Amino acid sequence: MNLDLNDDQEMLKASLERLLAERYQPEQRRGYAAQDGGWSRERWADFAELGLLALPFGEGDGGLGLGPVETMIVGEAFGRALVLEPYLAAIVLAGTAIGCGGSNEQRAVLLPGLLDGSTLYAYAHDAQVVAEPSGRDWRLSGTISLVIAGNSADRIVVPTPAGIFIVSADAISRRGYRLHGGGGAADAVLDRLHVATSDRLAGDCAPERVIEAGIAFLAAEAAGAMQAALDITLDHLRTREQFGRPIGTNQALRHRAADMLVEVEQARSAAILAALLSGATDPLERARGFAAVKAVIGAAARFVAQQAVQLHGGIGVSEEHVVSHYFRRLTAIGMLLGDSDHHLDRLAAMGGFTAGDGEVE
Amino acid sequence: MDLSFLPEEERFRRDVKEFIAARLDPLTRRKLEEGRVPSKPEIVAWQRTLNEHHWATPSWPSNHGGPGWSPVQRYIFLDELHQAPAPEPVSFNVAMIGPVLIEYGSPAQQERFLEPTANLDIWWAQGFSEPGAGSDLAAVRTSARREGTDFVITGHKMWQGMAHHADWMFTLVRSDPLAVRKQAGLSFLLIDLTSPGVTVRPIITADGRHDVNEVFLDEVRVPADCLVGAENGGWGITKYLLSNERSNIARIGMTKQLVKRVKRLARGNMTILRAAARIEAELKILEITQLRVLDGQRHSATPDPRSSILKLKGVELRQRASELLVKAAGPAALEVRNDDEPFGADDEDWIGAILPNYTILRAASIYGGSSEVQKDILAKGVLGL
Repeated sequence: MNLDLNDDQEMLKASLERLLAERYQPEQRRGYAAQDGGWSRERWADFAELGLLALPFGEGDGGLGLGPVETMIVGEAFGRALVLEPYLAAIVLAGTAIGCGGSNEQRAVLLPGLLDGSTLYAYAHDAQVVAEPSGRDWRLSGTISLVIAGNSADRIVVPTPAGIFIVSADAISRRGYRLHGGGGAADAVLDRLHVATSDRLAGDCAPERVIEAGIAFLAAEAAGAMQAALDITLDHLRTREQFGRPIGTNQALRHRAADMLVEVEQARSAAILAALLSGATDPLERARGFAAVKAVIGAAARFVAQQAVQLHGGIGVSEEHVVSHYFRRLTAIGMLLGDSDHHLDRLAAMGGFTAGDGEVE
Repeated sequence: MDLSFLPEEERFRRDVKEFIAARLDPLTRRKLEEGRVPSKPEIVAWQRTLNEHHWATPSWPSNHGGPGWSPVQRYIFLDELHQAPAPEPVSFNVAMIGPVLIEYGSPAQQERFLEPTANLDIWWAQGFSEPGAGSDLAAVRTSARREGTDFVITGHKMWQGMAHHADWMFTLVRSDPLAVRKQAGLSFLLIDLTSPGVTVRPIITADGRHDVNEVFLDEVRVPADCLVGAENGGWGITKYLLSNERSNIARIGMTKQLVKRVKRLARGNMTILRAAARIEAELKILEITQLRVLDGQRHSATPDPRSSILKLKGVELRQRASELLVKAAGPAALEVRNDDEPFGADDEDWIGAILPNYTILRAASIYGGSSEVQKDILAKGVLGL
């Protein structure tokens, strides 16, 4: 057991924090949110230059060959800075699907554009799509909903019971929109959409792996955002004076801050568990673990977000104050990829972590 | 970054598990599974079994009869005891007075007390709280007057867990009533409970059991060789005692044990199973928090204020699990039963202790530093408020 970051990981964290401190202040972020699609192409290029887009991919695919702990570091820093760019959609979700499902040849074709940021991928995590063979090719029919970054994407990765397909965004008519909490998404109906066999990922990749990677990233992002929300709340408690003294001298508020700390630390533990679970080989162990992670993250994010606003008083619900942006992002994180209730139902259906007959996992 | 245990730690866990399976009296185990309180002879027998291998004193250094375990081994050991379930070594002896005597006791006191303390030849009671000194422990009023070389003690101590089993009591007394800071006038004394002037009276708790007591001290003579550390130096020793041995303060294994029973009794009721899943999910994550605090001990020997997170969340989950167990057992749990009832058939799920245990577990967020005190510690020690 060793929970320290190694030197390279510390370096990644430091350079990321430097970049975000310089280019991701709240006023700058406001400008990015106003851009086409709800995020900044310039910052996306910065991330590509820093190697972040290539981070989790194998060196044979032109990636950096780094692991889930490094992705967690990125997620935490992005959560802290409320980064808007579609890292979750393109690199984590679509990237995991292509990385794990693509043949050598497909990865060689698809990944270079993904890694250098020139082609933007999204993943249809909520897809009700069937694929029927049509000659040597396929026809896809159904709906894809709330495709994160689907409003900006060049290509969309669509899981179906017959495999995972890559469809060109130009080939479908999609309805793009903005999301509360930042970024955008799209819905689309596929009506016998023609897809070439070469765009069906040849390997066997369970869509659960993709969702698990997404949950791990969201957990890290939530931990970072929750820590930041706690930090600004503590600043406020120390400096805001009412009745002639800092409000942080009130025991009711000090205890609330302590309650927030407990949930922030639980969120960080959840992010760590998710990162370390990514390497687990037993699908049941992973399924239970990720269900617990998302259930806890959702509840903890809700609590910390609500209390951060409450302790800020009226300014906490203003568009201007950053705490309201943390509130909205944390709310969105709780709702994406299954909310707490959804994952608790799954965990209960899997029998939880301990069997009722006295067997302990 | 790596959360896995070393192969030798995994082997250690297997050894502990096998040892418990082979050596714990099945009747003691069954009592604990059913939530009954084990008897004094059962607790003594188990502690002596553990002590044969120096396992009764997990946190003691090997030169004082401990096993010389790492913090991770101590954690694993207690986790296995909780999950078995097996009795913990008596904490007053092992986690409280033992480490104090090792750190502050004179060589003569160590020679006299440590071995019998480990083997439970002496059972210790804790003598801190008083009617007017709960969370504000430094407010103790029990007085110690110097008479020749002896101390003469008069006062009223409360909430002495298991003191009716005890032979000796370690206690915090006011030896200098004139000290400007109330913390500066306290001494740490060891009192033989067979001394004239000592009266131990039961306090029957809301679970209907006799687990705690009050102790009246009326002009009790305590020889000077029963003073630990310096006269009026008791507060520092007490703070050391209270911050010590928190390596398994979250008691996750005990809560797992409760949740297992909940699922057994739920008989497929989805509302209960979902609530159980919620506890299990939080428990799983708390285990990681526990390991992170444990991992932090590699870098620093000073107590981590973050262990207050473990106490807060650990107690919250244990109380929620005990409440859910009541729900799973249903109104039949209202029938007043008795811990001494004979065991039923092997497959009977005896629910007689479920409501009493839910009731008395409300005290878990009060003793050992109430949840409110833990939050004060976090606000000051971690958040800097």
